[in-house]
Amino acid sequence: MSGPRRSGEPGTIRFTFDGKPLLARPGDTLAAALLANGIGLVARSFKYHRPRGIMAAGVEEPNALVTVGTAGRGEPNTRATDLFVYDGMVARSQNRWPSLSFDVGSILGLAAKALPAGFYYKTFFGSAKRWLLYEWFIRRAAGLGDAPTAADPDRFAQRAGFCDVLVVGAGPAGLAAALAAVEAGDRVILVEQDSLLAPSLVRDPQELDPAWAEATAERIRALGGRILLRTTAIGYWDDNLITLSQRLAEPGERPPAGTAQRLWHVRAKRVVLATGALERPLAFAHNDRPGVMLSQAVRTYVRRFGVIPGQRAVVATNNDDAYLTAAALRDAGTEVVAVLDTRPAPAGANSGFPVHNDAAPLATKGARHHLREVSARVAGKVVRWQVDLLAISGGMTPVVHLHMQAGGATLSWDEASQAFLPSTARQNVTSIGAAAGADPVGPTLAAEDPAKSFIDFQNDVTLGDVDLAWAEGYRSVEHLKRYTTLGMATDQGKTSNMAALGRLAEKQGVAIPEAGLTTFRPPYTPVTMGLLAGRTERDAGAHQRRLALYQVHQAKGPIWQPLGYWKRPRAYPKSGENLSQAALREARAVRTAVGMTDVSTLAKFEVSGPDAAALLELICATTVAKLKVGRGRYTFMLREDGLVFDDGTVWRLGVDRYLLTSSTGGADRMAAHISYVRQFLRPQFKVSAVNVQEHYAGIAIAGPKATKVLAALIDDDPPRHMSTVAATIARVPVLVLAASYSGERAFEVYVEATKAEAVWNACEAEVTSLGGCPYGMEAMEFLRIEKGHLVVGGEIDGRLTPHDLALDKMLNKAGAYVGAQGLARPALTQPGRKQLVGLDALSGTIPEGAMLVQAPGQPAEGHVTAAGLRVLDGGSIALGQLDGGFARHGEELLATSPTRRQSARVRVVAPHFYDTLGERYRE
Amino acid sequence: MMLISCPHCGPRAQAEFTYERTADSVIQPDAAPAEAIEHLIARANPRGLDDEVWRHTFGCRAWLVMTRHRVTHAIEAIRAVGPEALP
Amino acid sequence: MNDLAITALSAAPLHVLEIWSDPPGVAKRFAATFGAELPMLGSSLQLPSMQLVRYEPAVWLIEGEIGGLEPVIGLDGSLTPIGGGLVRVRLSGAGWRSLLMEGGVFDAESKDFATGCSAATVIDHVNIRLLVESDQACLAYVPLSYAHDMIHFWTVAAESLI
Repeated sequence: MSGPRRSGEPGTIRFTFDGKPLLARPGDTLAAALLANGIGLVARSFKYHRPRGIMAAGVEEPNALVTVGTAGRGEPNTRATDLFVYDGMVARSQNRWPSLSFDVGSILGLAAKALPAGFYYKTFFGSAKRWLLYEWFIRRAAGLGDAPTAADPDRFAQRAGFCDVLVVGAGPAGLAAALAAVEAGDRVILVEQDSLLAPSLVRDPQELDPAWAEATAERIRALGGRILLRTTAIGYWDDNLITLSQRLAEPGERPPAGTAQRLWHVRAKRVVLATGALERPLAFAHNDRPGVMLSQAVRTYVRRFGVIPGQRAVVATNNDDAYLTAAALRDAGTEVVAVLDTRPAPAGANSGFPVHNDAAPLATKGARHHLREVSARVAGKVVRWQVDLLAISGGMTPVVHLHMQAGGATLSWDEASQAFLPSTARQNVTSIGAAAGADPVGPTLAAEDPAKSFIDFQNDVTLGDVDLAWAEGYRSVEHLKRYTTLGMATDQGKTSNMAALGRLAEKQGVAIPEAGLTTFRPPYTPVTMGLLAGRTERDAGAHQRRLALYQVHQAKGPIWQPLGYWKRPRAYPKSGENLSQAALREARAVRTAVGMTDVSTLAKFEVSGPDAAALLELICATTVAKLKVGRGRYTFMLREDGLVFDDGTVWRLGVDRYLLTSSTGGADRMAAHISYVRQFLRPQFKVSAVNVQEHYAGIAIAGPKATKVLAALIDDDPPRHMSTVAATIARVPVLVLAASYSGERAFEVYVEATKAEAVWNACEAEVTSLGGCPYGMEAMEFLRIEKGHLVVGGEIDGRLTPHDLALDKMLNKAGAYVGAQGLARPALTQPGRKQLVGLDALSGTIPEGAMLVQAPGQPAEGHVTAAGLRVLDGGSIALGQLDGGFARHGEELLATSPTRRQSARVRVVAPHFYDTLGERYRE
Repeated sequence: MMLISCPHCGPRAQAEFTYERTADSVIQPDAAPAEAIEHLIARANPRGLDDEVWRHTFGCRAWLVMTRHRVTHAIEAIRAVGPEALP
Repeated sequence: MNDLAITALSAAPLHVLEIWSDPPGVAKRFAATFGAELPMLGSSLQLPSMQLVRYEPAVWLIEGEIGGLEPVIGLDGSLTPIGGGLVRVRLSGAGWRSLLMEGGVFDAESKDFATGCSAATVIDHVNIRLLVESDQACLAYVPLSYAHDMIHFWTVAAESLI
């Protein structure tokens, strides 16, 4: 009998691997449970489809990647060593077809000579057609698990944390540091990626009783410290901000409270990194076979999980630590047939094993994907052992990733341990314990078959690939990395970078620190996309802003339209109507009788104080101060470069009190702009500018019967066009502005949002009694296009001047408004600039967003900004921007949309299709 | 993500702030056209310390001028700009 | 945490008080009239008829009756009603501090954020103003259009708090 096994109870937790039902014990990682069930072959490698097993016992595992979970909870490329088995877990192997033990893709491994380092880049040579073929083949042959196609049903949370001391790693060093800090009165957060405190003490109980860890943790908690298990520090950012990924459920598991993972942003005054160290493998031929494992991992499986990875073992090392593994194996009943030590003389750690000095493995052989034989060169002679386990140790590499992400951080090279150690850092961070220093190691003996000696197991990179890259002229470590893909897999080279660096330094003929290092990038371990961008309690990743009158609209069953963050009624279809039928009916009601619509989302600012007019004359490019109390006007705003960025209306409500309205989409930008002008440019002004966008709900009432509706509602004469009065509707105080966007006589009624519903209902009763109806965004768009009114984001797109939009006559001649100097630039008055025009279809329908060209294939001379129709008569019309458009009225052009495959012949006309004299505003 | 010490609110997360512009791009509305255009178009853009205009948009809404190192993100100085305020 | 309750309160009169000139003079008149100091930034003042919370250098949010304020302000500032645009949401129960850390960036767990303290911050991308009522309750002023989503966000977040 050979291979991994477990003695004693198999456990009661049920799970499946590739469909096979298996049992696990509580606390098992998937890797431990697979080994306990005698399963050594777990995966196929990325490039060559080589059979792979379990190499490590922690997050550095490069081989044993599985897909876990089903449907939307499926998570590919999960390390079996960093995944705790739960009841009902479904795990599958990856990158194999039809099965793990018989994988057609493994013929790639036989053809490995055809797929050397950089082979992907070499496919770029030759014809593009051939490359597309290669690409198709490569994409399918190489790979990891498949991304799930169903939506993730779980929630992901984000959370802030603050502390005096953040300790990363709850090993003995981390626990001691956290306890010291919490006893000194500090706010402490201690995080541990494992599910267990101080897992190294379970592996090596001779160091310290594992019960000490639990007692220490109890004391830390009692003193107010916070300990988070299954939580990994994944990134280190400016000003001591550390991001943590906290697992509230294992991958693929249904989270108990609906939240699968939590992303923490922890701001710490001081960071202590007790992140430990990772063991390095050794390089020799076929060192990637199942049954070849890292020494400390072997010890972990034996001591922590009660799993014996093999029955006959060779231990190969360059340091003392692996002798502990030999002892652990012997204690568990495994026969240790040889210890191969690269060091020339016995190092004093001997304990009765058959030790061979100046010795290292040469190669392994296998049978049915399992290890069968290890050969080594001992004192010049080749010796072979029939074994099913080879434990290897190339020394320890301190985990310096977070230290190096801290910004401006440096490492120092320690020759004795052949490791980089944390040195200086710009931020308040210290490394302690095994993260700060490692034990000495002996020499590395040269691999005799570099092309079969793997260093990056996950990306299938061998020593031979490093040699090839060198031979082909890649000198810098950054080039080596990109050419061979070394260290670029999801494990980020945790077990491979040092071996590659050593080989490169050897080639360069320099010491390792001079060969240079690649960048340590977050995240330290892979995170699921959901953690960073996953579903929260929102539909589309952003909040949907609700109208104050949401319930009123919802009761009418409207077609909703997302507009920025807002959701607004697009139309209110009657039964059997589609969107355009409903919108046309609503628009016609406005032209012939009366309609009402919700305009609450408009930006609104109440500006008061002795300098109110002066502030507004900085923000608006028109005059404001000349307004009499109770009057209003159209206005527009310029950026500093002189281009129009928004428009609206301004009303003088009192001697020193104004209301400014502007576009919905530009509301936040306008708020920032007003704040900038008032606070930054004019701090001495006596003025208060308050954003009242949400305070007031707004209802527009438009149509030839609007006056009648208003008169009935306010029981008084409605205000003249561009005048305003305070009134009451349904006993609620309102502000009535007589302004029109539709081209009809119209009013806007503003009411405190909490009382809007009563006012809407009163208005609707009057409107419907006169044959009118509510109208939505679509009808509003028809009406304003026909009238030639502008919309921000359409005609006002930040590229046109007031002159281009035919607004220049309204400019404040004496004004020192924002943008006045920019507008004076000569380029802005050059002929041939894009100018606002109307477009009248001669045939067909003008496509939305169409280009304006002389003939198909000719360059674009302009574009359609909004396409609509004549509300009462039918016929396609549009607004657009056209090079030198003012002088081209009467010209014929083609409006074409190649992407929609639609075109229409159009005539350039003035941008007013309805009531060109503006007589319908007044009466 | 930086920690920014708002002169009014104390240290707060960068997420509460918005970067607005460099201080040398500020244009006074009554500046001479040539001078205004110079500020509009030309920036010093140093690799190192620069004066920047920020706003504590999601906090006290105050406008700030900070001297920030563009390589290390170290903030050397920060002051609030705005009307006279009580402490 | 099950002891948390998230409750939207009924509308209350809210005004913005902005002082644009001579703030020390206004402060002196305020103290003389109301017998208390205008609250500093990050704090609040509870009077029998109104509550003043300072969220901005020159702006106080006033909840309640504004009677008596106009002569204090004089020509040095103005009052603007804004109550329609804010929803008052009370987070009550011992876990409110933890709840505010969800989706937040502000240290609501700090001992310094004590009863009467106020702070404006961003939670789940929405600008929220907080006022500590007691160890058991915190008031949040939420923009009207975001209130529905935020109450839902808090309700769900409370279910998996730690």
